[in-house]
Amino acid sequence: MLRKIGVLGVAAATLALAACGGTNSPTGAVASITNRGTLVNNPAFRVASLNAVDFTAQLGASTSGQQLLQLAGTPACGVDFYYLKYWTVGPDNSAQEASGALMVPTGSSAPCTGPRPIVLYAHGTTTDSAYNIADISDSSNSANSEAAMVAAVFAAQGYIVVAPNYLGYDISTLGYHPYVDGAADAIDMMDALTAARTALLSTFTPGTSDAGKLYVTGYSEGGYVAMATVKAMQAAGQTVTASAPSSGPYALEAFGDSIFFGQVNIGSTVFAPLVSTSYQHAYSNVYAQTSDVYTSTYATGIDTLLPSTTPLARLFQNNKLPQAALFDIKTPLSTTGNTAVDAAADALLALPSSPPYPASLAALFDSGFGASFLVNDAYRVGYVDDAVIHQDQAAMTLVSGGTLTSSNVGLAPTPAVGLRRDLATNDMRSGGWFPMEPMLLCGGDQDPTVFFQNTQIMAAQWTPYVAGGLVSVLDLNAAPGGPFAALQGGFQATYAQLVASQGATAAIQAYHPTEAPFCMVAARGFFAQVP
Amino acid sequence: MKKKIVTVALGVAVALAASGAYADNAGPNDIRLGMYFVHYEATASDITGPYTPPGLNVHVQNVETLYVGYVRTLSSHFAAELAFGYPPLTKTEGRGPATLGSVPYNGRVISTARWVAPSLLLEYLFGDPSSRLRPFVGVGVNYTKFVARQSTAAGNAASGGPTSISLPVSVGPAATAGLAYELTDRWHAYASYSVAQVNTKLTADTAGIIRTSEIHFWPNTLVISVGYSF
Repeated sequence: MLRKIGVLGVAAATLALAACGGTNSPTGAVASITNRGTLVNNPAFRVASLNAVDFTAQLGASTSGQQLLQLAGTPACGVDFYYLKYWTVGPDNSAQEASGALMVPTGSSAPCTGPRPIVLYAHGTTTDSAYNIADISDSSNSANSEAAMVAAVFAAQGYIVVAPNYLGYDISTLGYHPYVDGAADAIDMMDALTAARTALLSTFTPGTSDAGKLYVTGYSEGGYVAMATVKAMQAAGQTVTASAPSSGPYALEAFGDSIFFGQVNIGSTVFAPLVSTSYQHAYSNVYAQTSDVYTSTYATGIDTLLPSTTPLARLFQNNKLPQAALFDIKTPLSTTGNTAVDAAADALLALPSSPPYPASLAALFDSGFGASFLVNDAYRVGYVDDAVIHQDQAAMTLVSGGTLTSSNVGLAPTPAVGLRRDLATNDMRSGGWFPMEPMLLCGGDQDPTVFFQNTQIMAAQWTPYVAGGLVSVLDLNAAPGGPFAALQGGFQATYAQLVASQGATAAIQAYHPTEAPFCMVAARGFFAQVP
Repeated sequence: MKKKIVTVALGVAVALAASGAYADNAGPNDIRLGMYFVHYEATASDITGPYTPPGLNVHVQNVETLYVGYVRTLSSHFAAELAFGYPPLTKTEGRGPATLGSVPYNGRVISTARWVAPSLLLEYLFGDPSSRLRPFVGVGVNYTKFVARQSTAAGNAASGGPTSISLPVSVGPAATAGLAYELTDRWHAYASYSVAQVNTKLTADTAGIIRTSEIHFWPNTLVISVGYSF
């Protein structure tokens, strides 16, 4: 009897097995190596797929989306959003996993399929460590609006977009962000591009491929990263078809000097710890302890404060950072003992009586000083002393109200203060390079966050190339004229509306982000002229 | 743990079978063939995981399949049944929004799996063994293994890429009630209705993105079969 049951059992089991006929369906492959540019999951994960009609409808559902539609145009293509995970290296050359977005145009119309150009996009400063530009499906993700902008401006008009989240964000376990570390940021960009090219081979739309045209752009921090990427790719012998860095802090040393001279930009109390943490990791020369730079109120833990999952407003509330007061309301004095140096430094440390900038910005710069402030007096004085002794010609030209020319924008050769030396190292003027392919530098000359002087200094440094047409400068705030007159007029009208509806004080806070889509649409127009 | 439960259940059945008294002259063994009509009263928790909007659920399509049973008469009122179905291809549809972005979801078959789902039941037969019509009830254990698990093309599109699906083995109670009708001395016809608790946790892996849902399938099964006793 037992045997009979056994036979029946085998028979039934055979029946069952005969029906199986297959195994579990596979997910993609996971990379077993961590070489630079290796795609971790292949195929890459598609976060969302929107056809042109649905994307248009989604944008049309919000006021900001409607403005974007008006500016970027109605989507000609759908967009598939992929989440890229890839291997890159940190500033210490350690293997690091990073993430980003691949946006692929979809649809059957001509500009949406077949070989397509790639836009390599660098995003702007964010304090949100969960920032993920691939996550278009989550409106609560802080990257959502930037992702929508990039998708609407580029991907929906037929450009493949590659956009890294950067080390220090999303899944990265680096623990900090290599902020304005040009070489490190460029490596991240290039590795994201390599991984994206692999991912492109196995998307849901295999007919869409890399046409071999590469455009590099980015806004704000991303403008800097884009320029650093062009520099690094040229040095590596890789061709960039054209580039459009926008509103970026390219001339870092001069920008730092201007801020320490009292022109305190919007966001300075956030940028300061991002920069000091980045350079301390890269060069170990910013401080021995954080209190060397920062006041005792804020020094503890500031080296691990950003980026963070805690919203910035909460960090301000919790007194982790002052909202605007970078420096002491009471002007400190230089005490080097060198009369000439002390006199020059004291003049720079004091709020200038006749500032070399518009009165509209004077009130803004004033708000950079307070009773509870971030950078301690001794550090500020030491920095300004160094700026007097080892002069950045561009910063000095600007503070004296002079006009920037190719002969007065040189870097200080050997700053003594660690941070200043690091800024010089990463300053885009260093290395004596120039773009070998067309570059558009877009920005606005009243930008209170990343001063337009960054663009003006690079343009002055590259005077022959500007004259020769290789480098173009677009000031959104200039009198409309030339190929981007409509964008200039559009930006100025939009900003005027902001001033009318919110008042000048609130509007100036929004100046920098308001420029972004205008510069990106300008970049697209520029790229279209450089096939 | 689940393996142990199954082993114990089988052991109990075999012990009962070995000690059983025969009901009639036809012999204590009965082989049955018929059809399973499976109606799932499935409930599932909304699918959760990264990149997953709220309100995504699943629906399980009903199936029919071949039924094979072996029944051992243990006494005039007790019998043990080992029931198999030809592993049916069970299809899972998306339930929720019509589209995810622009990808169709609601009503699309997103995954399939074959069920290898034997049940072992101890049954009590009412009435006299000589009666032509005997109602019976039974309780036992169901073992369900999900094989050939596939995410369909529509499932891959909704999930965001090639997707592997994990559905762990389920072991749960089963119950049945039915009628046995004697056609001849050796041939009988049967109709029964069974319910089994089949719970599992669906885990879908799409390029390392893991999503899960707790599924209670609650298969309700009508079986129509004929049996030959020997």
